[in-house]
Amino acid sequence: MTLFAANLLAPDLGLIVWITLTFLILLGLLRKFAWGPITSALNERESKISESMEQAEKALAEAKQLQADNDKARREAEAQAQSILREAREEADRLRGEEVDKTRVQIQTMQESAQAEIEREKQSALDSLRQEVADLAVSAAEKILRENLDADRQKKIVNDFLSDLPKN
Amino acid sequence: MIKRASAFLILAAIAFTAMPSTAFAAGEDGELDAIHHSANAYYLDFTPIGKLQLPRIFVVQHEDGSYGLELFSSTASAILNGGWVSETADYADEGHSEEGNAEGDGEAAYAGDGEEQEPGKYGGITLAQLEGYMVPPNGAKVVLDMSISKHLVFAWLGMILVAFIMTRMAGMYKRGVGRDTAPKGIFQNMFETLILFIRDDVARPNLGDKTDKYLPYLLTVFFFILTCNLLGLVPFGATATSNLMVTTVLATFTFVLTQMGGTKDYWMHILWPPGIPAFVKPILMPVEILGIFTKPIALAIRLFANLTAGHLIILSLIGLIFSFAKMFGPTVGYAVAPVSIAFALFIYCLELLVSFIQAYVFTMLSALFIGMAVEEHHHDHHEAHDEHAPSVA
Repeated sequence: MTLFAANLLAPDLGLIVWITLTFLILLGLLRKFAWGPITSALNERESKISESMEQAEKALAEAKQLQADNDKARREAEAQAQSILREAREEADRLRGEEVDKTRVQIQTMQESAQAEIEREKQSALDSLRQEVADLAVSAAEKILRENLDADRQKKIVNDFLSDLPKN
Repeated sequence: MIKRASAFLILAAIAFTAMPSTAFAAGEDGELDAIHHSANAYYLDFTPIGKLQLPRIFVVQHEDGSYGLELFSSTASAILNGGWVSETADYADEGHSEEGNAEGDGEAAYAGDGEEQEPGKYGGITLAQLEGYMVPPNGAKVVLDMSISKHLVFAWLGMILVAFIMTRMAGMYKRGVGRDTAPKGIFQNMFETLILFIRDDVARPNLGDKTDKYLPYLLTVFFFILTCNLLGLVPFGATATSNLMVTTVLATFTFVLTQMGGTKDYWMHILWPPGIPAFVKPILMPVEILGIFTKPIALAIRLFANLTAGHLIILSLIGLIFSFAKMFGPTVGYAVAPVSIAFALFIYCLELLVSFIQAYVFTMLSALFIGMAVEEHHHDHHEAHDEHAPSVA
């Protein structure tokens, strides 16, 4: 008969039954009250983390896109401003040129008309002078004819006449 | 210097308290029986305080063929009140008569063993009787010995500990700690690390999309084995997993799960291995069938042997002190003590490591075996067949 004592390999059916029961109870207990909640919590947390990361990545991509859009818009605006400025400058240049030309033409016209005026005035002055001179000559001749006595007298008359002439 | 010396003394004290029964058992008859300490027993050994006898439960078949259940509060009660006889032939063979044993070693006995106890007696019976093979009176036969043994008590302790820890963990997750937030505190972080390790590094690689189905089993088996292993390193503790019956039960669970989960492919590989010449198949088939059983057997023996070996080594190292003292006198015994204790401490640390490794290995191999059986083969037959090679040591 084998003794139980001091035998590491002693078969023990009772212990097998007990341990089987023990382990089954532990398995059932933990399965229901521990592993279920724990693993579900862990899974939930993991999915939440990966979701958050996905969202963060998406947000980052969106932000990048937004920034790119902003940059593009800014560049476009800048380009537009530049072109507007350029156009304005060109326009201004053009307007100034035109103005200058117009002024020049105007001045020229004015000059021309002034000259024409001057010419006309001069002509009329000459005409009136000529008229005056002719009148004078006629009146002088009339005087001469009236006082036609001698040469000295004639000479004196002419001289008198001449001196009678207004100085201007 | 003083600090170092006191540290050594503390460590030595720990080593002694870890193995109290050995030291005092050695004092009893001058010999140290390491196996005796490692084997199962029907009492808890709190030497030098005393021994706590555990209830005895027997399913007996009486002489008239009827079955009955017999309950005793202790072995002593069964012998003294129930009329049971403890067969102690082993001790008698070695020339130690029960009476002589009890009387002769009176002075080296267990001082703290209850007030009314006479030295060398436990509740009125001898140690030999306490450990003897119980035979019922009146020609009845023991059909099933359902007695509560030392290893069973520690398995229960392990079960209670694991259940307590894990339900507390679950409570924390239910409250939202670790579910909505990061895990908090050393307790939750430590156990979550282990749980995640088992799930991500043990179960998932082997079981794939069937992880969820087998994860509860793997987690339970891991924490149960780990706790039982570590309980063996506690002073006055015993290692339930150093009992072959316990490891056999655990391995049987893996075995049953493996066979129940086995796919058609799995059975085909065993009964008619593909990818080899037809005449080899009948030769390979018995080998494969044998393989079904060698895997769980290896599982059981590996755990049992690893956990027993460490304890035997520690006990043997401590035992050296007493052997030397007996052979060459107490002075030599004292001289050997520091060396023995240093070595024992080293092995103790190693056992701590082994506790974790063996829990891991058992779980890992369980996952591997189950994974191999439940796997749907999509790959090359030859490659698949290689997986059925004899298991890892």
